[in-house]
Amino acid sequence: MPYANQPSVHIADLTAECIKFQVEDTDLSVANSLRRVFIAETPTLAIDWVQLEANSTVLSDEYIASRVGLIPLTSDEVVDRMAYSRDCSCVDFCPECSVEFTLDVRCSDDQTRLVTSADLKSSDPHVVPVTSRNRDADATEYGETDDILIVKLRKGQELKLRAFAKKGFGKEHAKWNPTASVGFEYDPDNAFRHTLFPKPEEWQKSEYSELDEDQYEAPYNWEGKPNKFFFTVESCGALKPENIVLNGVNHLKNKLSDLQTFLASLDKPDIHDPHDPHGEALAIL
Amino acid sequence: MNAPPTFESFLLFENEKKIIKELDTKVPNASIFTINKEDHTLGNMIRNQVLKDPTVMFAGYKVPHPLEHKFVLRIQTNGYCTPQEVLSNAITDLIAELSLFEERFRDSLREKREGLE
Ligand SMILES: [Zn+2]
Repeated sequence: MPYANQPSVHIADLTAECIKFQVEDTDLSVANSLRRVFIAETPTLAIDWVQLEANSTVLSDEYIASRVGLIPLTSDEVVDRMAYSRDCSCVDFCPECSVEFTLDVRCSDDQTRLVTSADLKSSDPHVVPVTSRNRDADATEYGETDDILIVKLRKGQELKLRAFAKKGFGKEHAKWNPTASVGFEYDPDNAFRHTLFPKPEEWQKSEYSELDEDQYEAPYNWEGKPNKFFFTVESCGALKPENIVLNGVNHLKNKLSDLQTFLASLDKPDIHDPHDPHGEALAIL
Repeated sequence: MNAPPTFESFLLFENEKKIIKELDTKVPNASIFTINKEDHTLGNMIRNQVLKDPTVMFAGYKVPHPLEHKFVLRIQTNGYCTPQEVLSNAITDLIAELSLFEERFRDSLREKREGLE
């Protein structure tokens, strides 16, 4: 590995939903690939199959299914060992590739009944709506909760459904995106002039600025290139922020090593395996 | 109602190859690699790494059309290495870099957690 970078990492801040870290001595292309992978290719779980058994609410079945799918589910514990349901050997769903949810609510009072993520009952205690985790007895005592509203029921209305959460990633549908936002910056004082501010003093300075109070832009550095990258990864709750980074890097590494395998197989003559006429064993790689 | 299936951007079609190598017949030591079902995430990173190799005279990539999920990578070397070797080395280097990143990220995470307690 003669030309490999040797990046260094510094975690500046870590909370339950956000991580701020800096990477030094890497390339813009690598840092940007990390950013892209966190958003679009880091797997999580989300509801992707909904069977409506009763729906007399004001929202259509499709609308309910869409809203249920968008609820973030805690995926940290299970997503790594779970299979994509398209790769699974089962007929439709099994515990290896899915988590079952049920919801059964009927409004029989005069008061409007809110159907929320808290009404979703999971078959796996590890996989619950993010707003239902650490649900202690005292949490609801204050009356206020942050449960995610699915639909409101009037007296006599009913919603009953069965759903399966599957493993997926943001490239397929945004509901699998584990991030709420990814902040990405380099050159906080715009020394490279990759952006041009007509009046720099009118623009807010970066939180990573190293300028004095009375300065608004660093002097132009015509020979510099990006070397230090400031990441802010905010989680939507499906994965802990540090796990978004770790799972993301792993996914990127796997993509590269898979490509390496395919590249090496170019040299081999086409092997015709009678059990695998279409070369599907390789395609799964 | 004619939207393409959502998995089209990352699942190979039946009998579709992940990577195709063609020789550029117009110049010596040049190959064109087509990598299916990948995008700028790998394309930009690999091209950048390939360019660091001093045997490389040219490296460039393109995503020919936004609705076709592939990128095309062209590499020309000075003849001391084949384009395929160069590409393979670049991928190895990137994996090494990301492994080091992961290791240092874990170290930093451990430090951060110990500091918090
Ligand atoms: Zn299964």
